[in-house]
Amino acid sequence: MNEAKAKLHVLSEFTYTPSTVERGYTGQTLYVNVGDGTIKGKPVTEDMKEKFIGGRGFDLWLLWQGINDSTKWNDPENEIVIASGPCGGTTQYPGSGKSIAVSISPLTHVPIDSNAGGHYGPYLKFSGWDAIEVQGKAEKDVFVYVDGPAGIVQIIEAPEDSPTDTHMLGHWLNDHFAASEKDKQQMSFVTAGIGSDHSYIGCLNFSLYDRKRHDLRYKQAGRGGIGTVFRDKKIKALIVKSFPVKGDSNHPADMERIAATGADMQHEVATFDPVQNRMRSRGTSYLVQIMNDYDLLPVHNYKFGAHPDTPKINGDIWEAQYTQNMPDGCWYGCTVACAHAVDAYEVRTGPYKGQRVIVDGPEYETIAGCGSNCGIFEPWALLEINFYCDTYGIDTISFGTGMAFVMECYEAGILDKEKTGGLDLHFGKAEETLEVMHQLARGEGFGKIFGMGIRQMKQYFVEHFDADPQFVQDIGMEAKGLEYSEYLTKESLAQQGGYGLTNKGPQHDEAWLIFMDQVNNQLPTFEDKAEALHYFPMWRTWFGLCGFCKLPWNDVVDPKNSLSAEPAKIPHHVQNYVEIYSGVTGKEVTTDDLIDMSERVYNLQRVMNIRLGYGLRDHDAIPYRSAGPVTEEEYLSRQERYDDQIREWFDKDPETMTTQEKMALHREYREGRYEKLIDAVYKRRGWSPNGVPTVEKLQQLGIDYPDVVAIVKKYL
Amino acid sequence: MILVNQKHQVAWHKGITIRDVLKIMNYTYPHMAVRVNGTPVLDDQYDTYTIPDEADVRVIHLIAGG
Amino acid sequence: MKVLTFNPELCTGARDCEATCAQTWFKVTDVAKSSIRITPTDQGFNAEFCIQCGKCLDVCPVDALYQDKKGIVRVKKNLCVGCMSCVGFCPYGVMHFDTEEVVPFKCIACGQCVETCPNGALKIIETEEASTDLWNGLVGW
Repeated sequence: MNEAKAKLHVLSEFTYTPSTVERGYTGQTLYVNVGDGTIKGKPVTEDMKEKFIGGRGFDLWLLWQGINDSTKWNDPENEIVIASGPCGGTTQYPGSGKSIAVSISPLTHVPIDSNAGGHYGPYLKFSGWDAIEVQGKAEKDVFVYVDGPAGIVQIIEAPEDSPTDTHMLGHWLNDHFAASEKDKQQMSFVTAGIGSDHSYIGCLNFSLYDRKRHDLRYKQAGRGGIGTVFRDKKIKALIVKSFPVKGDSNHPADMERIAATGADMQHEVATFDPVQNRMRSRGTSYLVQIMNDYDLLPVHNYKFGAHPDTPKINGDIWEAQYTQNMPDGCWYGCTVACAHAVDAYEVRTGPYKGQRVIVDGPEYETIAGCGSNCGIFEPWALLEINFYCDTYGIDTISFGTGMAFVMECYEAGILDKEKTGGLDLHFGKAEETLEVMHQLARGEGFGKIFGMGIRQMKQYFVEHFDADPQFVQDIGMEAKGLEYSEYLTKESLAQQGGYGLTNKGPQHDEAWLIFMDQVNNQLPTFEDKAEALHYFPMWRTWFGLCGFCKLPWNDVVDPKNSLSAEPAKIPHHVQNYVEIYSGVTGKEVTTDDLIDMSERVYNLQRVMNIRLGYGLRDHDAIPYRSAGPVTEEEYLSRQERYDDQIREWFDKDPETMTTQEKMALHREYREGRYEKLIDAVYKRRGWSPNGVPTVEKLQQLGIDYPDVVAIVKKYL
Repeated sequence: MILVNQKHQVAWHKGITIRDVLKIMNYTYPHMAVRVNGTPVLDDQYDTYTIPDEADVRVIHLIAGG
Repeated sequence: MKVLTFNPELCTGARDCEATCAQTWFKVTDVAKSSIRITPTDQGFNAEFCIQCGKCLDVCPVDALYQDKKGIVRVKKNLCVGCMSCVGFCPYGVMHFDTEEVVPFKCIACGQCVETCPNGALKIIETEEASTDLWNGLVGW
């Protein structure tokens, strides 16, 4: 026992005998109410395993039962639910340690699901719990401590002198809860930061103890403001101490099957990654230059798809900055190892100026969102933004996309120095961007307005700064209230749907179809696009049910894949997941079964959106910037392309038209085809023209529970 | 003339290779599956496989994106 | 460092080495549990076993692999999380995996196989350089 921990004030305690993990499940979930101190275990039923699998499925099912039809993000009954999944904690296959967090989002007011690496989810399971469900609101800051080996769960008062910001709090928690180096390795924390206290774009950090660096690393569940809910509940940290991890901690049904599949995949990574994406040395940063080459990199608030300065922030730059030859997996055995870090970075601004810190990343989304999209092409600034977003508990994607919107508003004259409190926020202003970040963290000045997210900023700018409502609606890159992630979609209708026709808001983890659609020309009809917008969101949802990361599926591929009938699906890797899932759970499944599993969860999430007053066709609308050129500047920057389209699509001569006329023609056409896409996708998904899952669909999926059916019936 | 992905026309010349076409199209992504008139061509043949005139070349970029 | 070395010209394919290795370390007759693997070729026989290069140390996320004072790469089973990174990344395919204990295993140059080889095709030697020449009768013979 650590002496410092003994001095902490325990508010509530629950003792238990940890269930052993059998075939990927403990059969118990943990319920903690930080408001009234209730702590209890809940059994996982066979029906729950059969229907919702685990991970995001368990999260949503528990949340469904925990809330009512009018629950808001900051109501006590809102929950934060975190689970890995039956395959989570497997160490033999790369990318098998993800945690998925779900909560009602302060940005979208419907459930958000956000996944992260780090050790928390698997450690929670190895401590006896398939999921943790946190409800209520504490009066003072608390820690929720789960100690598997000791068999206790405690709600502990967080002392006033304990830090909130993640990189400081992590060290504090190690000092107070770990008695040895071995303890540190068996522990993981979920934390946020003061940015989560003062904004709606708060994120969660999931820690892992890096044995090579002898220090803590953090992976982010960034999207949708779950950090904001976390701090609204006055939670400072979720802490877990697990039994030591072994290769068979999941007690899988068939270890040999898993090991055979794992050995093949490990060998594939070792052989092909060095000649393909080089994830092991560059991580996702390799995508920056690629996206630029294909005119898909968001530049200046998604106006453009490429910039001459991109080489200043491309993968080679980051390869030189990341510490090399480290096993940078965010879970054991992930040799894809994209979770790189810059060590001993000296902070230049803000409260931690002068400290030398580890910066986890930057990854593609952060580089594109806070870099090119804001016109910032200085690596130091991206490291600084990345570090502060993480430690303050701010989502780098919402931050980057939000700042890009603000910068365009500044250039358009909606904002000026008077309105920003003296900050010049033209594109490219790095120091000023960091100042907005520090203001946000303190809940002050323009930073506080910024922290509301784009949807609320639009309204604020209209009400207070006389902004043209149509203009800010067109250029504010959010849908459902969530900021877009970092890909340009103007020339890919399928990806406009990939962002717009999501449950949680525009995040590419549901579908990334730009190459299939725009480059490969594989989805020529609405029906083709609809099929892809059925298959891929379901396939990608499946990763989050089981505790898997999506990257090892398609970021390293044996060239023999080219010979398969459907190379885009990477069939031999899909088969690997069948092997691992069956090997862990002992249930024989087919590749089609995986899609069915996701469809149940996906439709439940849709019905949940409807239950909360959203989730209909109107809510699947997208800003015009994602579909076509909003401004003349934008049109003229790609005039040849747009003029050619006028000839091809409308059989008209662009030479005889004004730019405004041409833009209007494009807009009418592009908006119309998005509506046609919606029709096709809803039909394929078994939804009504208003986006409501039909009773037949729910019956077919076996989720026709009376309360679920009652919701959809109101709209059918 | 070569037709790439049923959309783009690339001028044919004797001896034109897959690598040449990828360069002309600025296809820099490392994960691709190439078929020439329906026949798959593996990446170790990109420099040597010569494309016939009027060929239907499909360059299937595998999915990218985090 | 201490390594095993093999001379293909002396090997007659008796494969006593495989049986001895599996028996010594796992008390089984299944040669899949042997750290030395003999395969027939057109000319005779090949042997593959760990050459103690140490490249696996870098890929282990938990420092469960180390080189002892004699330069032999060894596995600390209590630290190992069974992740197979070392198995997949061994350039020579000589790190194996035991699915019962869920840990890797490899040749640690114990010399038991040297004792039972009827033809003297194996021996333990000291060498400076880790090389697959140890498989080809080019080092120590």
